[in-house]
Amino acid sequence: MVEITRSKTDILILGSGGAGLFAALHAHKADPDLSITIAVKGLLGKCGCTRMVQGGYNVAIAAEDSVERHFMDTILGGKWLNHQEISWKLVNLAIERIHELENDMGCFFDRNPDGTIHQKAFAGQTFDRTVHKGSLTGIEIISRLAEQVWGRGIHRMEEHRAVALVPSTDGKRIAGVLMINMQTGDFHMVQAKAVMIGTGGGPTMYKFHTPSGDKSCDGMAMALRAGLPLIDMEMVQFHPTGLVAGEDTRITGTIIEEGLRGAGGYLLDGNEQRFMHEFDERGERATRDIVSRAMYEMMKQGRTAANGGLYITMAHLDPKMVVQQFKGMVDRCRDVGFDLVGGLVEVVPTAHYMMGGIKFDENCFTDIPGVFVAGEDAGGAHGANRLGGNGVANSTVFGGVAGDTMAPWVRRDGAFSDPDEAVIEETISRCLTPFSNNSGSVTDLRLRLYDLMWEEVGITRTAESLNRGLAGLDELENDLRSIGLADSSRAFNLTWHDWMNLDSQILVSRAIAMAALAREDSRGAHFREDFPETRDLETSANTVVRRDGDAISIDTVPVAFTRIRPGETLLAEDAAD
Amino acid sequence: MSEQTKAGATITVEIWRGREDGHFDSFSVPHEEKQTILDVVTYIQRRIDPTVSYRFACRIGMCGSCAMMVNGAPRWTCRTHASKVLKDGKIRLQPLRNLPVIKDLVTDMTVFFDKWQKAGGRFEPSQPGSQEFAEVSPESKERAAASAGIECIGCGVCYAACDVVAWNPDYLGPAQLNRAWTLVNDVRDADRKGHLAAVAVDAGCHACHSHQNCTRYCPKSLNPTASIAGLKRATMTAALKGDL
Repeated sequence: MVEITRSKTDILILGSGGAGLFAALHAHKADPDLSITIAVKGLLGKCGCTRMVQGGYNVAIAAEDSVERHFMDTILGGKWLNHQEISWKLVNLAIERIHELENDMGCFFDRNPDGTIHQKAFAGQTFDRTVHKGSLTGIEIISRLAEQVWGRGIHRMEEHRAVALVPSTDGKRIAGVLMINMQTGDFHMVQAKAVMIGTGGGPTMYKFHTPSGDKSCDGMAMALRAGLPLIDMEMVQFHPTGLVAGEDTRITGTIIEEGLRGAGGYLLDGNEQRFMHEFDERGERATRDIVSRAMYEMMKQGRTAANGGLYITMAHLDPKMVVQQFKGMVDRCRDVGFDLVGGLVEVVPTAHYMMGGIKFDENCFTDIPGVFVAGEDAGGAHGANRLGGNGVANSTVFGGVAGDTMAPWVRRDGAFSDPDEAVIEETISRCLTPFSNNSGSVTDLRLRLYDLMWEEVGITRTAESLNRGLAGLDELENDLRSIGLADSSRAFNLTWHDWMNLDSQILVSRAIAMAALAREDSRGAHFREDFPETRDLETSANTVVRRDGDAISIDTVPVAFTRIRPGETLLAEDAAD
Repeated sequence: MSEQTKAGATITVEIWRGREDGHFDSFSVPHEEKQTILDVVTYIQRRIDPTVSYRFACRIGMCGSCAMMVNGAPRWTCRTHASKVLKDGKIRLQPLRNLPVIKDLVTDMTVFFDKWQKAGGRFEPSQPGSQEFAEVSPESKERAAASAGIECIGCGVCYAACDVVAWNPDYLGPAQLNRAWTLVNDVRDADRKGHLAAVAVDAGCHACHSHQNCTRYCPKSLNPTASIAGLKRATMTAALKGDL
């Protein structure tokens, strides 16, 4: 029997991105006597993706802008699949939250020369509303939030990995979360009255992906195992330009910023010829989904460069302008051996963000009493496509909402309950599986998953490819269960965590493939070659996946157009047209 | 293509194993054209010895999780190209200096962030709950001073480079004092006096010997030495005025 240490906290928050840190700060502010714990896979504020936000924060604060306009941009970008109450709350509370970041947390966002706040243009929006701090907005936000958390007696469990949401013995509510202390490898059961999932999604099961290396869809995988429904999981956003330099460098997949194409950058094929005009009259400046699909098509045709990607180049532009406007990007490329100013940089479309996630409502409740969710783990705010700049707004807005909701909920309805020991035992046994097997290569298994998801469940999909994908996932799952680890020590054992990462990724990959098979039309980030048209918007539906025994069940539920129906607008000037 | 990246070339990598008392293990890793130090360590963990421990997250120089000693110098591993630091085909990797070792290349950074708090590294709002943005000219002297130091990502490189930290474990540290200086210059902050008092202590800004190792090694090209000099002046002035 494996030894388990145990502790108690009123509120347990999983993740320390914009969602997790805001949830902790708001819950603490609402009720400073509550014991609040943040558990995170890395160091607090130093892992995850909020920190990596380059673009900025969408918020309708300019006099000529409006929340209605921000809302319409979000719904139209989301192709009518958004949960409208969630999107409405997002655009409204973003105003309060950006001021809180600036005035209470200490973020200092960029100013115009006259000292007023600067807002920049960002793709897919009808107004320049993106507040930013240079191209390092995420670092400013997370650094300031972490400082506030450190100073408030909020308990930290760093390098602790959550492995199961454990229900109460009667199965009616959450009892807590089973964790692994990654530094020692020991199991630890945290009993909590309320648990918030904020581990931040992250489509890291694709061969090329942008998110932080610690991400592996643990939050969504735990939710599935606990019986929670996930919505619109087929909606995986691909960013057109990720670096590619072979499978042995972690730099592969990381983002080359969008602004380069906006500033006149060219995409070239392996023969150094431009190709985007074959696909769209806007050329390189077409939207993310169109550029990604065009690039994928080129790659399928084999018109590729050395590492199987394509090129981006700025060499025909004024080098001074490139260095000045894109300093961070130029420096990063140079450090890892690319010349962005005068050379060719090989790029591929890269998996960036999951619009889908755990079903929740606008107050961050899920279907399990005591379990709350915010950030990328939660589905609904973005519909079929997320606007750049709505990601960090989403995590910080709903992190705060979750904190506001949990504090009074814990006083009113919260209770410690005895955890279902059978779930704990089953989870420990699953996590320890590889220690009782003969060794094999976790790395080879991960590369197989990367290729499978990229080829069969990737940028373009068909029923055949998705079925091949599902069959491949079955095989991978079997192989994962029989693979072993060379090392018997569990202390800071990265290879063991790689194994558990795969366990989460394979399960969530299934959810993506099942949802993609069920959505027989194309919209936003989801493109079915066998159903290339977007169907009637009036009958739009969300896909809902659940874990049902060892299988994944799938359902569709009509979108509730609670504020506006397709064809309508909230904007007076557009309605008058 | 340089001599070292010819097909079949290898790098000899020595890695610290264990805790404070440990030893070096040596590995032979294929040398690739595009290869950072993080890739070298990853290759060893994935392909040669799955028991090697290290820490990383973002892969691109934004999180400050992956710093370690590379041939004796503190560096981010994710943004350090292997070819640039090779010495006679060899690379020696050790955990970040001046911090307790957890295992192999992983250090315990708790003290680093505790000192951040001790140095008063936290914004004190002067307009809490305000729904307006303070008008602050980006050109103003104070804002320019704050902006010069604000992009620190807390990677610990300067802390590892600092001899004063090595001599005096209580010394608040260059990154921590640099953050304090940005707050002293933040016109929106409500507690300038408190920030100065926090760094005017024995092991605070006046303990700095201006060796400038922090500035030399900062991967963001920040200048903590200059920030600390600013704090020395500001605390002296405040003391003379009787404000401390």
